[in-house]
Amino acid sequence: MSFFNAPRTALGVIAILVLAVFAGPALAARTLDTAYGKVEIDGTPERVVTLYEGALDTAVALGSKPVAAVATRGGDSVAHYMQERVPGIAIVGTARETNIEAVVAQRPDVILASSNLSEPQYRLLSKIAPTVVPKHSYFAPDAWQNETRLFARALGREDKAEQLIQAFDERADKISAEVPAGTEATLARWMPQGPLVMSSKIFAGRVLAAAGFESPEHGDIADDRPHSDPLSLENLDRIDSDWLFLATLNADGESALAKARTSPAFERLDVVQRDQVVPVDGQLWTSASGPLAAHAILDDIARALGIASQP
Amino acid sequence: MSERPRIATDTRERRVGLWFGLLCGVTLIVCTASLLFGAGAIGPAQSLDTLLRALTGRMTDDNAWFAIESLRAPRTAIGVLVGAALAVAGALLQAVTRNPLAEPGLLGVSGGATFAVAIAIALGADAATLRVPVAQFGALAGCLAVLAASRVRGAGEDPVRLVLAGAVLSGLLYALTSLVLLFDERTADEIRFWVVGSFAGRRPADVIALLPGLGVAGLMVIGIARPLAALALGEHVASGLGHRPRLVRLLVVVAVALLVGSATAIAGPIAFIGLVAPFVARALAGPDVRATLWLCLPIGAALTLGADVVSRLVVRPSELPLGVLTALIGAPVLVAVVRSRRLPTL
Repeated sequence: MSFFNAPRTALGVIAILVLAVFAGPALAARTLDTAYGKVEIDGTPERVVTLYEGALDTAVALGSKPVAAVATRGGDSVAHYMQERVPGIAIVGTARETNIEAVVAQRPDVILASSNLSEPQYRLLSKIAPTVVPKHSYFAPDAWQNETRLFARALGREDKAEQLIQAFDERADKISAEVPAGTEATLARWMPQGPLVMSSKIFAGRVLAAAGFESPEHGDIADDRPHSDPLSLENLDRIDSDWLFLATLNADGESALAKARTSPAFERLDVVQRDQVVPVDGQLWTSASGPLAAHAILDDIARALGIASQP
Repeated sequence: MSERPRIATDTRERRVGLWFGLLCGVTLIVCTASLLFGAGAIGPAQSLDTLLRALTGRMTDDNAWFAIESLRAPRTAIGVLVGAALAVAGALLQAVTRNPLAEPGLLGVSGGATFAVAIAIALGADAATLRVPVAQFGALAGCLAVLAASRVRGAGEDPVRLVLAGAVLSGLLYALTSLVLLFDERTADEIRFWVVGSFAGRRPADVIALLPGLGVAGLMVIGIARPLAALALGEHVASGLGHRPRLVRLLVVVAVALLVGSATAIAGPIAFIGLVAPFVARALAGPDVRATLWLCLPIGAALTLGADVVSRLVVRPSELPLGVLTALIGAPVLVAVVRSRRLPTL
């Protein structure tokens, strides 16, 4: 035993010395407050695996290069708006199901997961690498900002988090100044037998609110649900508001709009008559989160309002 | 001696005629209810007022009239057509397999239509009009597979075995449908709500696309009703009366495929109507297949449309999937049929 161990220990010591030289001031070990208790992370994790769309977005925004991610809902790779930023990233599961073996194969230093990761899954994953699960629900106010801070701490890039949040706030305020007070916006996903109204508590709803839009609340959506059940076409007037952002699960918002336009009930809506329906990418608007997604959504809003889209 | 049977036939025919009239009346009432009730803010009183005004020629272009004319009227028509088609298809299948449990949903005929439509959507077919022939083709394949299964030695005599064969086929087809959905998420998005059955959001043009298939099937049923009744007396008797059992069976299969395919194409798979309606019809009219077929028309229509009206009212402002509701009605009837008698072969 010791015969085999001795060279390894020596190698380890050399490796640490080399790292210490090249990594500059080594990061101190830090304790993260996560949904499943305290998690210790040391140094700057190199191999980052993200099991949540918001974690991938945040990690990339923070300047990290995750090695693996999960596919977006309704697709077989990461969301459209992310594809150019992480070319060739390994896919280790879907939003619903993680392929544990694929995660092991990535030899991660840290795993970033979503707040609804189950405890049995957590126990499995935390055996592979320190697993960071946000404490607050996805539907909580400031969820994405808190996730950004948490993931930034995990990745050793804490200073960057506040910069990202501040940059978003500044840009959202600029757009908000252009939006008249009391302007309402609804986000809906089109289905042939009636639309799903998305909750204002989901990520895109928070971004809309930050950009100065108000949300007409109907009480149709339970607190812990991202959207209503498909509304009856007779109740289509509930998605009528000053602006309607219309998505499908697919990336193709235009086809959602084309489909909706074949419905006479849709054509009767005031917002359609006023031509203030904005077709949007469902992957971005109804399942993504994080700083990059926030800016991409602000891009869409600025384009719809016809104001300067650059931050 | 020759008087008595004829009197018996006459009273039976009169009774069937009476029931038919009565059930048509019920169907009309359900149709009216379908125009009056919805999941939206326009209640029955306002709807009735609008409807009466429209009938007296004082039409208005308000929300109430829009809901009645553009949303409720098409689904009322679909409910009647789909219900009657599924009920008749069920009665035909039961007659030709001599099995009171034969039902398009149980036997894999609806499953065949569903699978065919899933593949069509996955391959990029978007038009609702294309779905009708595709679904009819799928239903035909399902039908033939089940009848082949019923020819297997012993299965023909045992009603439960046919249902088991059908259940296996249905299971296989739904598994294949799920497989298509797994591989193609776009299809999943589109088809997810279609597979639970619904009449909502269909356009008048979609209804018109059904009419040729249903019309042809209707003519075929009129043509084969008499030989089918003879077939109930046994193959030899039917041959002796000059009918050709093989041809009759083939025509029944084609008619069932046309009926189930049309219904499935527009409404998604809707289970148990083809079981419940003929069951009620036989209870009212006795075993004669012609009487059963006539009574199936209003029973199927009223049952399906009634279920649709209920589906709009129970989870407002949303709607319950229709397939869920018909399964809730149909499953107890299935159990009742299996338990109450010794499963008489028809």
